[in-house]
Amino acid sequence: MTDPIADGGTAARTPSPTSSAAPDVTPPDSLVLRTGALSWLFPRRGSLVAVALGALILVLVALGTFASSTGMGFTETLAGLFGTGDPATVILVQDFRLPRIAVGVLVGAALGIAGCLTQTLAGNRLATPDIIGVNEGATAAVVASVVGSSTGMIGEWWLGPVGAVLAAALVVLCAGGAGHRGHRVLVVGIGVSTVVGAVTDLVMSRQNDNTAGGVFLWTVGSLSGRDWSVGTPLLLLLLVLLPFALAAGNRLQLLRFDDDTAAGLGVPVRRVRALALALAVVLSGAAAGIGGPIAFVALAAPVLADRLGGRSRVPVLASGLVGGALIAGADALGRVIAPVEIPVGVVTSVLGGPFLLWVLFRPERGAGRG
Amino acid sequence: MLVAQETGAPVGGTEPPSTRPPGPRRRILTAAVALTALLAVLMVLSLLIGTGSSPVARAWDFLMGDPSARADAQLRLAVLDVRLPRTLAAVLVGVSLGAAGCLLQAVTRNPLAETGLLGVNSGAALGVVIGLTYFGVRSSYALLGWALAGGMTASAVVLLLAASGRAAASPLRLVLAGSALGATFHGMTSYVLLSTQSTFDTFRYWTIGSLAGVKTSDTYPLIPLVVTGLLVAFGSARPLAALALGDDGARALGHRPGLIRVVVAGAVTLLAGSAVAIAGPIAFLGLLAPHAARAVTGPRMAAQLALSALIAADVMIAADIFARVAIRPWDTPVSVLLAFVGGPLLIWIARSRRLSTAGGTA
Repeated sequence: MTDPIADGGTAARTPSPTSSAAPDVTPPDSLVLRTGALSWLFPRRGSLVAVALGALILVLVALGTFASSTGMGFTETLAGLFGTGDPATVILVQDFRLPRIAVGVLVGAALGIAGCLTQTLAGNRLATPDIIGVNEGATAAVVASVVGSSTGMIGEWWLGPVGAVLAAALVVLCAGGAGHRGHRVLVVGIGVSTVVGAVTDLVMSRQNDNTAGGVFLWTVGSLSGRDWSVGTPLLLLLLVLLPFALAAGNRLQLLRFDDDTAAGLGVPVRRVRALALALAVVLSGAAAGIGGPIAFVALAAPVLADRLGGRSRVPVLASGLVGGALIAGADALGRVIAPVEIPVGVVTSVLGGPFLLWVLFRPERGAGRG
Repeated sequence: MLVAQETGAPVGGTEPPSTRPPGPRRRILTAAVALTALLAVLMVLSLLIGTGSSPVARAWDFLMGDPSARADAQLRLAVLDVRLPRTLAAVLVGVSLGAAGCLLQAVTRNPLAETGLLGVNSGAALGVVIGLTYFGVRSSYALLGWALAGGMTASAVVLLLAASGRAAASPLRLVLAGSALGATFHGMTSYVLLSTQSTFDTFRYWTIGSLAGVKTSDTYPLIPLVVTGLLVAFGSARPLAALALGDDGARALGHRPGLIRVVVAGAVTLLAGSAVAIAGPIAFLGLLAPHAARAVTGPRMAAQLALSALIAADVMIAADIFARVAIRPWDTPVSVLLAFVGGPLLIWIARSRRLSTAGGTA
């Protein structure tokens, strides 16, 4: 494109708006930062919630490290975390305990963000990423690796994510378009994931009980033995995709009305849908592949985040933080409540349910919005 | 361009253009008759085909009353004691799941709702696991009892929770309470399974879902439950149709949304609980059938219910027949065949029309 005002025609520039009696269009509950021509809107409550959740995660990580320690004092654990304790403690804490908890937080964040995107996209709380086949895909890949190997051990860590993303891609291909509010993809997803799950079941039913038990442990969702080798790729993925997810959330906000309104407001409806779906697939696929199909976080995190941050925005960031906090908390609990360690997926499902209900069904001061 | 080429092709249509397309009533009636006929054919096939060594022709003679075939003890056993109960169970499970799924999608106004949503499936699984682990249950009849008790209890808890408070049983509350408690029961099941290997091995086969080894005596006690559920279902067709207008619209027509939801969810519990108890957790059918039915009926609730039940019964019995012949001489778990039959069907339905989203809960 050629520059329309290359010949120095200043008249072509849009006149700056008169600042005489401009109406105040700042949304309530927002802080405006201006520097010259640029301005940012900071949602006050949202930012506070995000900071508080971040702090909560840090506390939970510290507690989780402490909870897994055998005969290590809390101050010692902290010293280990900050790298100031004696070398043995530092190595123990930083190389063995911290990594798996960090992986848990990252998995939770990925699940939360993916859940928020799909739920907002479909306007349906049941529309979680599990529906588009990521869990079944990851499980199928893991089962295939076990059956195909001579040792009966679970194969490489990246098999799960790859299987998950492949399954979801298959869903999107079969659906041939998102359909009304993404519902076509979701319903097709149920169909595809049922078939994939059935194949897996069939293969598993021909395995001996030992293999089946090993795979079952994986399908419950467990973080045992996860370290930075899987944590680092997941962290990088999250860092790269987060800006896109935030942008998609921002646009999805306008899709909450209806497509015509959104299009009228200048939102490229189809592109935003496709972007949100793709992000959800990659994030939840990576999470399911690494942590196993951890139940319930993708459904609960956005609901809780919504409740925390007020309903005026799509709580992408808050959902991620809530997801991370949920898993960090569940992982710590799983190591405390019983003499044997309980897998994190079991804790999230057993305690996540009542927790969500407690948050939702508390008698509210405002109008009940069930 | 393509369209222009197609118009040049000879039209293979049989109807003169003057006849009006059949109205929705006629379409629904045609579909219902066709589905019922198909069900009858499938039931006969289900009696003829089996995993055993009795040939189909002999079984046909038996059904036709051929004296030599009637005298064959082995044949009698295969047809009357193995295949007949299985056939009836398949119809019972199909009808239950189809009706229950349809009710649940209507009452939650959520096309993604399936019969497992009220915690029935996860509750039944937990019941089975508890029975296996702590009570040493082994007989199929006792397991059925545990599954039924677990499913009903779970569902009752979900309903009580959803109906408590001021916003009595709003669709979203129902959905969230069901998902949340379902997850809880599922987690408990996993925990018990992880701690007891012996239970896990038995449970593996229960959870896959199968009609193999169903005895008539097992299913009799469930028939009253299913019939009650169906009566309530059809009785609530009109209020449910009103609910589709939203709560305020339903109130304006003189209905009580909260009450409708609780009553209908009770019917869903009876139906889905019975189905799970007989065949294990086969949630998928309850999601598929209403979508297929809606493709024909549109929003007509009573017709949707009837067709949904018929479609589910047809698919269930077809899947069970395939399950017997897929890998002879073994029984394949019926849930696997259900997925192979139903999965593509659901994908095709989703692609072939604009899904009526029935106002998903935001």
